[in-house]
Amino acid sequence: MGENRLPVVDARDIVKVYQSGSEQLKVLDHVSIQVRRKDFIAILGPSGSGKSTLMHILGCLDLPTSGEYYLDGLDVLRLKENQLAEIRNKKLGFVFQKFNLLPRLTAIQNVVLPLLYRGIDEKEAMKLAEEKLSLLGLGERLNHKPNELSGGEQQRVAIARAIVGNPEVILADEPTGNLDSKSTKDVIGVFQELNKQGNTIVMITHDVEVARQANKIFYIRDGKIYDDGGLP
Amino acid sequence: MRFKQLLKLVLINVSQNKVRSFLTTLGVIVGTATVFLVVAIGKGGEAQVSEQFSKLNVGSIMVMPAQRGKVVDPLTKKDAQLFTESDNIAHAFPVLRGNGDINYADFSLNGGFIAIPPEFQQSNNLTIQQGRALEDEDEKKKNKCAVLGAELANTLTDGNPSEIVGQSITINRRKFEVVGIYNRVGDTGSPFSYDDAAFIAYSVGEKYLLGTRANPTIMVEATGLETVQAAIDDITYILNETHRMGGAEQFRILDAGSRLAAAQESARTMSLLLLAVAVVVLIVSGIGIMNVMFVTVKERTGEIGILKAIGAKKREILGQFLAEAVVISLAGGVLGAVLGFLAVPLLKYLELPAVPSVGGIVLGLTFSVITGVFFGFYPAWKAAELSPIDALRYE
Ligand SMILES: Nc1ncnc2c1ncn2[C@@H]1O[C@H](COP(=O)(O)OP(=O)(O)O)[C@@H](O)[C@H]1O
Ligand SMILES: [Mg+2]
Repeated sequence: MGENRLPVVDARDIVKVYQSGSEQLKVLDHVSIQVRRKDFIAILGPSGSGKSTLMHILGCLDLPTSGEYYLDGLDVLRLKENQLAEIRNKKLGFVFQKFNLLPRLTAIQNVVLPLLYRGIDEKEAMKLAEEKLSLLGLGERLNHKPNELSGGEQQRVAIARAIVGNPEVILADEPTGNLDSKSTKDVIGVFQELNKQGNTIVMITHDVEVARQANKIFYIRDGKIYDDGGLP
Repeated sequence: MRFKQLLKLVLINVSQNKVRSFLTTLGVIVGTATVFLVVAIGKGGEAQVSEQFSKLNVGSIMVMPAQRGKVVDPLTKKDAQLFTESDNIAHAFPVLRGNGDINYADFSLNGGFIAIPPEFQQSNNLTIQQGRALEDEDEKKKNKCAVLGAELANTLTDGNPSEIVGQSITINRRKFEVVGIYNRVGDTGSPFSYDDAAFIAYSVGEKYLLGTRANPTIMVEATGLETVQAAIDDITYILNETHRMGGAEQFRILDAGSRLAAAQESARTMSLLLLAVAVVVLIVSGIGIMNVMFVTVKERTGEIGILKAIGAKKREILGQFLAEAVVISLAGGVLGAVLGFLAVPLLKYLELPAVPSVGGIVLGLTFSVITGVFFGFYPAWKAAELSPIDALRYE
């Protein structure tokens, strides 16, 4: 245990201010959040509350206005763009509301891409990609393009792409936001299964039912974050 | 990402937008075809020039009056003799040329005649096909006999040249006996065609056809290529001595080498001009590529965000979009080279000499790739510089 339970995501006093014209919009107001290995966390909040903004910062896609952020012990805010790219490639896996698959590539080509950016041999990468897709029940859909797949299938391809490189953390931004209730159940089931196998998951949602499937819920409102007990 | 996989990705993207890729590359197709044809035409021109000059001895020098028409102080047979005294000069022949009515039986044409010292024949590869050559006797005794160029004999006899040997013709109403016909010599690079002329002894030309209007050109042969300049200096010196009134200034001294150089120079100028046209076409097509790549980057901004989210580095995004531009332009280059090849027979039909060459293909493809790299770079760089979050949030 011990070392395992060190926070893999450790963000402190994160402030994000957007400047639009002369107005300043403080979207995140001293947000601190720790995620430990093997956690399955939901961040719940209404639309416009700053959930995506937080996830982009945790995902090293965006920088906070101020604060501190350590990912797997690395001081993210001191890293250069190339190093951030490498972190996104090796330590993070993203799942988006709109699936964000590359439309011209087949399912397996989408999934294999992060491994290719990592410099893994194509043959081996294809094997791993196929493994993950089969694991998610898409063994028969390897060579389908996104527009030939249902929403639930597309999101499972996206999940396969997120986990193919064995990331430290899976970040999912409203992964069920574009899905019907059956596909929503599917996808949540997949996350629970992945978590059981030891994956760390941060899932953002505005849906209380979905959030309840996680092991722990954070609430976000008006740029401030509250944990399970502390909702005002 | 390794090059092979990058290329695969690029080909997937380019091939799924075939119509746009093709339209984008039209300019490159035309540009590359032009470059290819420029090289082909250049090579054709060069080949034509060197063919013209191959029969001409590079040691030959022509001395002629600088101005056409009436000449106050013409060259003389004596000048030619003086020239031969130079150590740098092998031969020097005065040559008279004129035009006139040439008549055989009922047939008459306006043709050229050339009066030469008989030795001229050996040093100019005039060999006999039938009958005999001009001889020293003819020069000395001023025999009114002529040897015809192959083409002239053919024309006068309507394709039956053998009949004319031993017969008489008239040149400007003076009667000459045809004693022989030369073999065809083809294009000699000299300003007049030997095959179409009637040749007579020099003294005969002077006496019967030109009289006091005799205004010879002196055809000089230097002892070798390296002595051409020395020979020219000697000629200049002699002319200054013997033509005190106007000096060497009033004559033109042309050596084959500099004539060849001038002809090559003008062929090269032509090539450069065409090359400039090709470059302009490629620049215009490059700007087209740049435009389309900007549109592509804009359209695929979201995709770029996704690529960055899964770990693509700046140089990988740059590489991908640059490679797209290059693949498109290189495809245009290949099509252009094919188009160029197809156009070669067309040029031949227009009597433009064109020689297709590997060099032309290489140059054309190089230009097309350079166009792609040069004009694809900025849009690709823009794509690479996008911030991940801006790209991802772009709608
Ligand atoms: N680039 C930006 N510039 C200005 N305002 C922004 C920008 N991105 C997001 N916002 C604003 O920040 C707030 C939070 O957005 P977001 O994090 O996407 O919310 P959520 O994901 O919880 O719906 C919104 O009011 C949104 O309009
Ligand atoms: Mg959101």
